[in-house]
Amino acid sequence: MDRAWSSTKRGLSNLWQGLREWCGDAAYERYRLYAKRTGQNPIQSPTEFYVDQLNKKYSRPNRCC
Amino acid sequence: MKRFFEILIWAGLAIVAATALATIALHRGEPISATWFVLAAACSYLVAYRLYSAFIAAKLLALDNSRATPAERRDDGRDFVPTNKWVLFGHHFAAIAGPGPLVGPTLAAQFGYLPGTLWLIAGAAFAGCVQDFVILFCSIRRDGKTLGEMAREEVSKRGGFIAQLAVLAIMIILLGVVALVIVNALKSSPWATFTLAATIPIALLLGVYLRFVRPGRVLEASLMGVALILFAVVAGRWVADSPTWSKVFTLSGLALTFAIIVYGFAASALPVWLLLAPRDYLSAFIKAGAIFTLAAGILLVRPHVLMPPLTRFVDGNGPVFAGKIFPFCFITIACGAISGFHSLISSGTTPKMIQHEAHARLIGYGAMLMESFVGVMAMVAACAMTPGVYFAINSPAQIVGAAPETAAQTVSSWGYPLSATTMANLAHSVGEQTLWNRAGGAPSLAVGMAQIFSTTIGGERLLSIWYHFVIMFEALFILTVLDAGTRVGRFMIQELGGRVWKPFGRLNWYPAILLSSALIVGAWGYFLYQGVVDPLGGINSLWPLFGISNQLLAAVALVVATTILLKMGRLKWIWVTLLPMAWLVIITMTASYEKIFSENPRIGFLSFANALAAQIAAGKIPTAKIAETQRVIFNQRLDAVVTAVLAGMILVLLVEALAQWRAILSKEKQPVLHETPYVPTHWAEGD
Repeated sequence: MDRAWSSTKRGLSNLWQGLREWCGDAAYERYRLYAKRTGQNPIQSPTEFYVDQLNKKYSRPNRCC
Repeated sequence: MKRFFEILIWAGLAIVAATALATIALHRGEPISATWFVLAAACSYLVAYRLYSAFIAAKLLALDNSRATPAERRDDGRDFVPTNKWVLFGHHFAAIAGPGPLVGPTLAAQFGYLPGTLWLIAGAAFAGCVQDFVILFCSIRRDGKTLGEMAREEVSKRGGFIAQLAVLAIMIILLGVVALVIVNALKSSPWATFTLAATIPIALLLGVYLRFVRPGRVLEASLMGVALILFAVVAGRWVADSPTWSKVFTLSGLALTFAIIVYGFAASALPVWLLLAPRDYLSAFIKAGAIFTLAAGILLVRPHVLMPPLTRFVDGNGPVFAGKIFPFCFITIACGAISGFHSLISSGTTPKMIQHEAHARLIGYGAMLMESFVGVMAMVAACAMTPGVYFAINSPAQIVGAAPETAAQTVSSWGYPLSATTMANLAHSVGEQTLWNRAGGAPSLAVGMAQIFSTTIGGERLLSIWYHFVIMFEALFILTVLDAGTRVGRFMIQELGGRVWKPFGRLNWYPAILLSSALIVGAWGYFLYQGVVDPLGGINSLWPLFGISNQLLAAVALVVATTILLKMGRLKWIWVTLLPMAWLVIITMTASYEKIFSENPRIGFLSFANALAAQIAAGKIPTAKIAETQRVIFNQRLDAVVTAVLAGMILVLLVEALAQWRAILSKEKQPVLHETPYVPTHWAEGD
């Protein structure tokens, strides 16, 4: 029973993380981790990062017919 | 033993696929259950994925998981980001799935359910998925280079230029056509117009929230937005019922045209975070929800397909669009089977995020199979309604007649019984004033989907809500394509203009932004305008033009892929890309030729222009209508020129590629491959 519960919890947590990754919620956290790992300084604020990402994303074909 | 069971399971799936395909192909007489379509598609896709994509991965591409991908080598936490394969699958699918796989199959249903369904399944497995998969692989091996860059490096400089021009051309035609689909869905419908108009302030609100209140919190903002949009769908009924407000939101085709043109200009020139991005988030969530609900609805309701396998319109005289099955069914289905536009996504963001080369199989091949499945579901939804109703909604007034009684008689005379009362009752139950002459695919698909949804939840009472939910869903993501496409088109024009006059290329210089926005909006706006004033309803001329340009771009992608594979020495398996390429060249060239030169005025642009000119000369056109008719003549000739230019471009690219292939095969020239050098991965397979 415990095993089933913990694997359900793990599955739901993975699903939640996947959803956050898919919709872009986790992008800034990932960027911060990357900046920390590589010692990048200064890092962008959440707003700067968000606007910067959007400008890049919508400067090339990203939605199809 | 395990292997034996595996073989047994896959053989079983193949037998089910073959049985279901045979059933839908050979069934005659009584209506057929949609379950057969779901089984045929799902089992065929599973078998194609298990066998054909594995064969391509192993033999043709020889995917190498020991090789570091661009996401590993150039990881920068922004563009090059190693991403979980299922998350990337979701990203890629959301990017490639647009209105095409919904509208194309709905329009192609005029031939009956059979030709479109077979092409959706076979075309995806042997052409569309192959294109997406191979281009994704080629781009991964080149640090995420675009199709245009690969064409320039691997085929020729001219090839690269042609690919870039083709992208701009298809973008303009695509935006004009999808805007026409919205206009035809919204005209004279205050409920639908209000709902769509409400999405603009909702998107602006979300934009401000995401920029200033909770930066980047997309999930919570989108959920709020979705709730507001669902409320707007319900509130639309109150607007439609109000004598004052319904007048405000009842717009003619021309009024909607200018509204959409102004909107497109604003979306292109405004900061991306304010309108474009939040609308895209809303669209992605609603798209995912609606597609999932449609799949669940079809599985639960298992509707009967009432359309015959083949209609009388296989003879080329269809009321929705003119032309025989070959080549027009293939041109019309477009994105659900193969879409050139996908090659731009496969050589855009996706290759920069892939963790291992082997993931390209799931993402490139698998996501396209999923899109094709959406196309099959759209076909089921369109064919599940009474054929008479389908033709009444999709036929222009010039063909069936403007008065409901006359139109009902015309449709009935084709062998699809229909009464004017049936249409009036249906319009009333979906909350519309009329459903006659709403060519474009969106309203008929909305009726089909709403009937399936309402059978699952709410019954007849909720039919009108479901109908307007589907119209909103279609229009919302068409507007997203319009926003995003206009902006990218603006950048392309600025890049081209910047080569002539440098300041024009500056992306933050407002005069250049405004001028380039006006140019791109003016270009697709012109196609939209000509579609709205077209006496045959616009879709008859413009959807095939869009299909031709989209399939031509697919041919460009497959020419590039074939050239790269030849350079890699994969001659033995080259037919995998060569055959779909040859097929696309044949269908696009035939369709282009017929659209330009056919003597049938409903097919040939020139013969239609000549027929109208002859009517003017013979004094058969009233004086008040002469100027309008002359505009239609000009538009038809313009469409002929555009088609000829598109076909000419692919022929030039083909000649360039053939010269390359000859030189490689005759060993006249040492093939130069522009792959990035091999770097071993530091990641384990499970990373």
